[in-house]
Amino acid sequence: MENLLSIFVNSALIGNILLAYFLGMCSYLSVSKNLQTSLGLGLAVTFVMTITTPVNWLVYHYLLAPGALAWARLPDTDLSFLKLVLFIATIAGMVQVVEMVIDRYSQALYNGLGVFLPLITVNCAILGASLFMVERRYDFWETAVYGFGSGLGWLLAIVAMSTVMQKLRYADVPAGLHGFGIRMIVTGLMAMAFMLFSGITL
Amino acid sequence: MNPIQNFFDKQRKHFEPGGRLAPWEPFYEAMERVFFASPETSPQAPHCRDSLSVQRYMMLVIIMVLPCLLFGIYNAGYQSFKAAGQSADVWTMLWFGAKIVMPLVIISYIFGFGWEIIFSAVRKHPISEGVFVSAMLFPLTLPPTTPWWQAAIGISFGVVIGKEVFGGTGRNFLNPALTGRAFLYFAYPVQMSGDAVWIVVCQNGNRIVDAISSATPLAVASTVKASGTAETALTQAGYSIQTLFIGLYPDSIGASSVVLCIIGAVVLMIWGVASYRIILGDIFGVLSVGYLLNLLANDGSMPYFSMNPWYHLLIGGTAFGFAFMTTDPVSAPDTHAARWVYGYLIGALTVIIRVFNPAFPEGIMLAILFMNIFAPLLDQIAVKVKLKKRIANV
Repeated sequence: MENLLSIFVNSALIGNILLAYFLGMCSYLSVSKNLQTSLGLGLAVTFVMTITTPVNWLVYHYLLAPGALAWARLPDTDLSFLKLVLFIATIAGMVQVVEMVIDRYSQALYNGLGVFLPLITVNCAILGASLFMVERRYDFWETAVYGFGSGLGWLLAIVAMSTVMQKLRYADVPAGLHGFGIRMIVTGLMAMAFMLFSGITL
Repeated sequence: MNPIQNFFDKQRKHFEPGGRLAPWEPFYEAMERVFFASPETSPQAPHCRDSLSVQRYMMLVIIMVLPCLLFGIYNAGYQSFKAAGQSADVWTMLWFGAKIVMPLVIISYIFGFGWEIIFSAVRKHPISEGVFVSAMLFPLTLPPTTPWWQAAIGISFGVVIGKEVFGGTGRNFLNPALTGRAFLYFAYPVQMSGDAVWIVVCQNGNRIVDAISSATPLAVASTVKASGTAETALTQAGYSIQTLFIGLYPDSIGASSVVLCIIGAVVLMIWGVASYRIILGDIFGVLSVGYLLNLLANDGSMPYFSMNPWYHLLIGGTAFGFAFMTTDPVSAPDTHAARWVYGYLIGALTVIIRVFNPAFPEGIMLAILFMNIFAPLLDQIAVKVKLKKRIANV
């Protein structure tokens, strides 16, 4: 239990997947214009991550890892070179489901997210969580907590970013820094403040 | 007529449109406003009748920070003579301390104000007095032996990246002084770590050793052996409650004296410059988390857990940060409810980082920056909650 708690805090705050590993930047930078949309995208990413990371764990440990196919009497097969392709396939399938649900129940959010909703498929944070989970040799429940925590960390970052950008809407930014320039600077400053937690060992 | 006004009247023509110094008009404006209230009136309604302009607001803060600066100067001199084992009268100490501290303050002003002038000349916005406060607070958070070039880099980063790229005072979202300080902290961790502080040692008024280091109260409290208590360890290291309260121990230039910070905070609160909600929230945060840790403490845990939470308010930069940094009107939230939460979380995070994070002995700097990020979110939540409570307009 303590272990799970530490993984949760680690993934949500200390090793925030966005502000410590800088994964999933593209949609973070483009969608963080207002609280409602970014909260929607953040929840969608959290949802997808919470589901796909454990599913990918199952895929990896029962299909791909060296010796994983022992249950099919193929103990010598090593399919781990397929993990990128299969992980993405799982994520894409999940995103399809989420997209249909949002389209059905919240048209406003669907329009607000626009192309970034299908693009969650290639959100590096989600693939990153799946790959990190393999690297760090988490077991199933650790992976589930890790996926959820990383998603929440991403949500926290994009929500904070969107409110900061709202506060900055009257800012007088030099012409050369309009748009992405100032967003990158804000992200950097936010990452500096998030260093608050770096160094905590649980 | 007043000679100062005469002087400004004579110079004005150079800075008016068409004059030979016309691009530097903001500089003239700012210098004039140091001495006189602005003659400009707003051309159309609403006409604000409150005399608390940004200029006066910022000047009040500077006035309340000055005692901390003076004490810091005296303390720097006092610690030097004490470390050298010599005694001297107050004026010698002040003079020696001024030679250590004033260059940092002057450099901070030259660079901070310099960037503000450049940006306001190029980008045609008026110079704001906010930079005077940032450039005053920044050196006070530094150890006395900070190299001059580091002070210059730190304040430049704080003013340019922390503020000017967003369009100047009032448009930034992080506290510029703390942004510069945090930048130095991560860029030059060896000199800035906060577990040891350097004292300039002198012999007959000349520097003989550049620096010796001694453990700060924070380092003492976090490294107590499991058998002792944090309070006794602090007292044994020479940090009794009285010393910590008065502030005659080696620390950041301006942050050591709790009593001066309290005076500053109270006066600013009475004047309406500092928000009492934020400061009280800060204190509640520290005390509640401190007591919670006391409850959690058992025989196996660090003595830091069971330290009396009031000590957290005395050691390190808590008093200075609470009085002058958390109350920064730009980076703090604007709604009352959000201010309470903002203050509370800063206090709570400060204690949590101090106790749990071995990488940072002091947590207040990054706790404030961290909550600056979430200040707009707290505001939005506060507004949303308020709107929900409103009776529907039928």
